[in-house]
Amino acid sequence: MKQYLRSTIVWAIALSAVAVFYLSIYNAFTKDVETVRKIFENYPPAFRAALGFHLDIFFTLNGFYLFIFGIVLLVGAVQAANLGVGIISKEAAGKTFDFLLSKPITRTKMITSKVTAALALLAATNIVYITIVLFAANAVSKGDFEVKKFVLISLTLFLVQLMFFVIGLFISALVPKIKSPISVSLPLVFAFYIIGALDTIFGKNVRYLTPFKFYDLTYIIKNGAFETKFLLLEAAFLIIVTGAVYYLYNKKDIPAVD
Amino acid sequence: MNVIETKKLTKYYGKDRGIIDVDMSVEEGEIYGFIGPNGAGKSTTIRTLLGLIYPTRGSAKVFDKDIILSGPEIRQEIGYLPSEVFYYDDMKVIDLLKYSASFYKKDQKIIKKRIKEFAELLDLDLKKKIDDLSYGNKKKVGIIQGLLHEPKLIILDEPTGGLDPLIQQKFFNLLKEENKNGATVLFSSHILSEVQKICQRVAIIKEGKIIRVQKISELLENNYKRFKLDTAANVSKEYFAGIKGISDLSVSDGSVNFLYRGRINDITKKIAALNLKNMLVEEPSLEEIFLHYYK
Repeated sequence: MKQYLRSTIVWAIALSAVAVFYLSIYNAFTKDVETVRKIFENYPPAFRAALGFHLDIFFTLNGFYLFIFGIVLLVGAVQAANLGVGIISKEAAGKTFDFLLSKPITRTKMITSKVTAALALLAATNIVYITIVLFAANAVSKGDFEVKKFVLISLTLFLVQLMFFVIGLFISALVPKIKSPISVSLPLVFAFYIIGALDTIFGKNVRYLTPFKFYDLTYIIKNGAFETKFLLLEAAFLIIVTGAVYYLYNKKDIPAVD
Repeated sequence: MNVIETKKLTKYYGKDRGIIDVDMSVEEGEIYGFIGPNGAGKSTTIRTLLGLIYPTRGSAKVFDKDIILSGPEIRQEIGYLPSEVFYYDDMKVIDLLKYSASFYKKDQKIIKKRIKEFAELLDLDLKKKIDDLSYGNKKKVGIIQGLLHEPKLIILDEPTGGLDPLIQQKFFNLLKEENKNGATVLFSSHILSEVQKICQRVAIIKEGKIIRVQKISELLENNYKRFKLDTAANVSKEYFAGIKGISDLSVSDGSVNFLYRGRINDITKKIAALNLKNMLVEEPSLEEIFLHYYK
């Protein structure tokens, strides 16, 4: 847990640093609106969409935040997937499953305590992140800053992280031995990221294929709320996948160490 | 009462054999040996009893409770020491033992006292980090974490690897003490002499099946030794042929090699008549014994 706490601090700082860095150049971007607009208009629409660049709202603080939020999501997804892949499989990799599971606890309890700890770490990451970016956004805003929408967009990070976390958990339950979680979580996250960039092929349905596109951030900017349908869909997804994780771990043979 | 009772306990790993129809009864208060060559199924049986793996068929009860339905309840009273011990490297020994103790519904003061006593007996520094310990010292941590909660059943899977003879002796004395205080012990090993030292009964497992259950007194009558003789003059094979208890006999260029089971006096009388240059009497490996006596 100590080790995870240390890495969580690093992740939270990394996420915040990315956002703060980009927010710090917001004013430079908006100084000469027309020039920037012209530059981006020359890019193909698909490329603009892949970058998260929306011409109509880009020059507001929240619109600019959307532009940088893709990178934040990417970093956050790696953290969550890594945590999901590693938090239980670490016991197998460290060969400590025998020690832990020969104790008088059920596997369900063991999983619950680990999942709870991981969720607490993700929540802590998001609290730190949101606090820091709120300060940064306040500092650079020119009165066009809507706190509620800004927070909702930021909360998307947590929601997307939850999906990556359970996908990571699921993989760890399926694969017998994972020596290095990052070797699984990085390709996993990049695969979903690439799927997200292929919306020219999948069209709007791409949001059902990758957590990166699951939440329509422009909807939040326009309506100041999440789409209820997608919140429910995510809840169902989390319940089903987590249920499968409990089932798989409860049925699993713990191989002898060699 | 039987502390462990298995009925036709069977485990396959896919198509590979683990154990087949294992029937085992370990009575309360006994030190029960479980012996067999590597890969015979000892660990598979033990891991099934602990709920680390699930049986393919058959059933097992510990303290008269089903191992699958009552796993955590059963493990509350089990102390387990595996052959290879792995713990959290970044933890201090004392923190690991406290963490281990936290799982048990026992008086933590008594546990703390036992940890201190065992650490002194085994000469283990509780303040060291697990990562800094030698293999033998990690094994000592294993012994303490297995015994700290006064378990009613102690399960040991090849426990002595890495322990020097002095610590081994202390460990055996500790086990005998725990046994005197009411603990039942299941002691798995592939070293016959080890089991002979401490156990009262022994089950012999080969290729996944229990082939014999013997009292240790019966087993001691079968005193297995490997003899290696260097003689000044060549000895004919016939000299030893026909002696009861000799097997795997080979004679060549003044060198005689055989496996013997029986009264030592009988064979030494026969050997004394030879002009010996050197003589070596060794503990045969279990594989050798199995190869020649438990076909």
